[in-house]
Amino acid sequence: MAARIISNSCLHRKLHELGSGLSKLSRRTAATALPMSDFEIQHKQPLVKKTKSIPVALYGGRHAVTMLPGGGIGPELMLYVREIFKYAGAPVDFEVVDIDPKSDESNDLEYAITSIKRNGVAIKGNIETRSESTGVQSRNVAIRNELDLFVNVLHCHSYPGVPARQSDIDIIIIRQNTEGEYAMLEHESVEGVVESMKVVTKSNSERVARFAFEYAKKNNRKKVTTIHKANIMKLSDGLFLETSQNIAKEYPEIEHNEMIIDNCCMQLVSKPHQFDVMIMTNLYGTIVSNVVCGLVGGAGLLSGKNYGDHYAIFEPGTRNTGTSIAGKNIANPIAMISASIDMLDHLGHKEHSKVISDAVRKVMCEDKLHTSDLGGTATSTDIVQKIIDYILQTDTRTW
Amino acid sequence: MAVRIIRQLATTKQNTRHYSSELKKCTLIPGDGIGPEISAAVQKIFSVAKVPIEWESVDVTPVRGPDGKFGIPQKAIDSVNRNKIGLKGPLMTPVGKGHRSLNLALRKEFSLYANVRPCRSLEGYKTLYDNVDVVTIRENTEGEYSGIEHEIVDGVVQSIKLITEDASRRVAEFAFKYTKENNRKKLTVVHKANIMRMSDGLFLRCCRDTAEKFPDVKFEEKYLDTVCLTMVQDPSQFDVLVMPNLYGDILSDMCAGLVGGLGLTPSGNIGINGALFESVHGTAPDIAGQDKANPTALLLSSVMMLKYMGLNDYANRIQTACFDTIKEAKYLTGDLGGKAKCSEFTNEICNKL
Amino acid sequence: MLLIRLNPLRILNKASATILTRNIHITPAVATLTPRQTNRVKCTLIPGDGVGPELVYSVQEVFKAAGVPVDFEPYFFSEVNPTLSAPIDQVTSSITKNKVCLKGILATPDYSHTGELQTLNMKLRNELDLYANVVHVKSLPGVRSRHTGVDCVVIREQTEGEYSALEHESVKGVVECLKIITAAKSDRIAKFAFDYATKNKRKKVTVVHKANIMKLADGLFLKSCEETSKLYPKIEFEKVIVDNCTMQMVYKPQQFDVMVTPNLYGNIIDNLGAGLVGGAGVVAGASYSADCVVFEPGARHTFAEAVGKNVANPTAMILCSANLLIHANLASYGEMIKNSVSKVLLDGKVRTKDLGGQSNTQEFTYAIIHNLKPLSI
Repeated sequence: MAARIISNSCLHRKLHELGSGLSKLSRRTAATALPMSDFEIQHKQPLVKKTKSIPVALYGGRHAVTMLPGGGIGPELMLYVREIFKYAGAPVDFEVVDIDPKSDESNDLEYAITSIKRNGVAIKGNIETRSESTGVQSRNVAIRNELDLFVNVLHCHSYPGVPARQSDIDIIIIRQNTEGEYAMLEHESVEGVVESMKVVTKSNSERVARFAFEYAKKNNRKKVTTIHKANIMKLSDGLFLETSQNIAKEYPEIEHNEMIIDNCCMQLVSKPHQFDVMIMTNLYGTIVSNVVCGLVGGAGLLSGKNYGDHYAIFEPGTRNTGTSIAGKNIANPIAMISASIDMLDHLGHKEHSKVISDAVRKVMCEDKLHTSDLGGTATSTDIVQKIIDYILQTDTRTW
Repeated sequence: MAVRIIRQLATTKQNTRHYSSELKKCTLIPGDGIGPEISAAVQKIFSVAKVPIEWESVDVTPVRGPDGKFGIPQKAIDSVNRNKIGLKGPLMTPVGKGHRSLNLALRKEFSLYANVRPCRSLEGYKTLYDNVDVVTIRENTEGEYSGIEHEIVDGVVQSIKLITEDASRRVAEFAFKYTKENNRKKLTVVHKANIMRMSDGLFLRCCRDTAEKFPDVKFEEKYLDTVCLTMVQDPSQFDVLVMPNLYGDILSDMCAGLVGGLGLTPSGNIGINGALFESVHGTAPDIAGQDKANPTALLLSSVMMLKYMGLNDYANRIQTACFDTIKEAKYLTGDLGGKAKCSEFTNEICNKL
Repeated sequence: MLLIRLNPLRILNKASATILTRNIHITPAVATLTPRQTNRVKCTLIPGDGVGPELVYSVQEVFKAAGVPVDFEPYFFSEVNPTLSAPIDQVTSSITKNKVCLKGILATPDYSHTGELQTLNMKLRNELDLYANVVHVKSLPGVRSRHTGVDCVVIREQTEGEYSALEHESVKGVVECLKIITAAKSDRIAKFAFDYATKNKRKKVTVVHKANIMKLADGLFLKSCEETSKLYPKIEFEKVIVDNCTMQMVYKPQQFDVMVTPNLYGNIIDNLGAGLVGGAGVVAGASYSADCVVFEPGARHTFAEAVGKNVANPTAMILCSANLLIHANLASYGEMIKNSVSKVLLDGKVRTKDLGGQSNTQEFTYAIIHNLKPLSI
């Protein structure tokens, strides 16, 4: 499904196949030939109907979106996002769901998942799982698995003006998000011997690969690189590699190559410009995205997008709670703001997302107002204030 | 279905009333829960007032009929058919398959086409509205409750609201007659013909036509929503209201709400084969047998019955006694904020007679 | 600026209350920048029939006085006056483009000149798919009525049900009117109601039905609501039969919170609710589709007998316009107008006739304008 988000090519054919219930809306869309937002495509043309579809939370042009502030710096960053949305007039209403990190109960978590199911879209900070007990699974992972958000997209690009080791980096990292090493199947078979299972399935590998190629096609990317360790894990990573090679044949216009994970990391720090779109399994994704984030200036800049068949979650690119700097007004708000921009894009509010992203770019690149993690002296609120000022200067409709 | 209804209408005769001073028989269906207690109270009051009526008490607990379905015992049906008049306490509709609502069955059995509910503010029982004196007359056989429903495709249900000229005319005529005979001033037809132009349009047309036959009754037309709005603001603007089934269901309960609930409002069903008067409140199983129930609704229904039978003197005496008792507020039951038992309340009315 | 450094979270919180407070706190920063260009919102305006044009005029007066950056695109749209009426596609395309519309009440005659069963109102709703009608029935301070403390929201499905305009005369003298209930639309309105409750921090959703009689049709509606309620564990869910509901409404309306209803019952309860809190002149409503909102008075009465007499109560219309501003991200203006309305009503010196006063529409409008005050902290 998510792959379909990327492509509008088969839109008109699909429209005919729609059920009568939706025909009214679609007819209008087709008649006026408005481009559909990713959100609309996701909800009107589901590839697989695994669940009973829930009516979309869009009323009078305003979207309802679940907000999971999470732990650490999450709540303050969310506050900035809401503030910015207000001044940019973004037609989004947030349903804030707090999850108590200390409790072992999963009630809050279940409620959060239900809320995302209802709204279809969420923005989230990192949710802490404080419990040490092995029976409690990571809440972030639980959310991803429960909603079947099988792909994570991280767009790594340099901000000119931000001090970093490498400049002009522009890499898209697409990562399988629900299986692989994070299948969470671990057990101690004999005393002192722990087995952890890595699961790779053909169907999920195919979904990710297709998503990646469609993404590349839509965004005019030239090359897709599959990252793997098939020389050692011949079966599991072998399957992943093979699947992506098969899919690549359907996209002759896009170059496809492969690279082994250890080599990849080395290449990334030495010659990162050779990469364009990268696809990989779960664990390699964590490694690679953190490496690239380091290259462009740290954890505070990038945002990640998680897509499933019915739902989408937007979050800061690297998943750290930043508990140590919470409440000190020094956290870098850019990553979260950038996630909110992605969300607006997904919902189809391009005008608003452009206004905010322009403002962010001006603050980062022209004013060079940076927080301490980038070697600057500005506080979080300074940056947010400046962004709001820029937004207010732009001539837009207020909502 | 529609055709069947017409045929049914065509074959039935107009009801005839019996006016005579001899002892008349009357079917009594005590009902469930608090039903027996309040029925006993009414019987006691009637005997004190020396009303020339002989009660014929029947049980309507469903029995399995020859077709295997549960239904009203034939004995009860015969009794009502013979007496042409009945008084009924609250009935409980058993939950489960195979049971039709008994109320519905009785309604159908006796072709009770019009439901009359006078709602009047009672002195002594304070509600937010103290000037209510409204009678709702509701078409009772067709409309939205025709019971014709089907699922066309999965997830699409169609329910048919049926309006026929005959039934509309019949209830309109009854409404005008009622207005005239009870010295009411005005009859309002409640409709939504601006939206349902054909169906409610037909009902409205029938009322307009009938209005020409009753030039001395003031007639007006009002939209359903306007009536709702005005009713809760100023109920004194209305007198007698006539309307199709669903609207009547809703409005009659709403008017009951204005005067303090269903425990105080009588109800009468006028049919081709007779008339059935009833209290429309619930069976209140939680207070059944504790001598706490309020018999007012059933008593006022029986008053309506007496009026229908032409026994106006008795009716007025009992009604006055009942109103006076409530007004004095010495012996009020729990639901009216008093502490009296049902029997004390009944005795007080008997004393007043 | 200094203040902000000291306590960022608190300040931001406060700033979120209104744009105006922002200026007070952060004046030094803003002063260095060029003033904000005026971003004007466009809004379709349908004055409607009856007293509609008078009420709309008073809204325009208030907007002018408050300096609200809204431009109206007026369309004359009427069923009783078909020759002057703008074509429906013009109106719908304007609303689709602007996403907001302020609408008076359209009169619906009992019969149509062209023999159509659909009224203009229904056509507009179907064309724009305005499926959810929201009426907030709330006791206003200073408005005398029998009940106090009423605060409930009636959410009504208004594109199907009894008002589907499918009627035919099968045999002479027998008319069948179809009531259509679909699962898709029932799910949609149920979700709308629960999302509304979630967004507005309401506690309870009550579904109003008659499933004991209409077992299939209302049964389907009820089932949709039941299933949707499972997605909202934090909101209480309750079922009530429509006749009992009306009785409870006049008896103890405070017990209701959010109510979700099929078409006809919604119409009844809307009007009933309006009657409880002071009449058709004071209750605001809105109709939502996925993409646009039409703000209109909650109880639809054209009040045609008062045309030109300058006696109609513009409160409902002005509250509608304030809701429109809040929806269109002009919350500060919206709140300002709302505050002014409640102040005027509470003072009770200037009241229209329907609320027991002696003032006319114009005087009431001026009183509201007089009381407009920018919000302070």
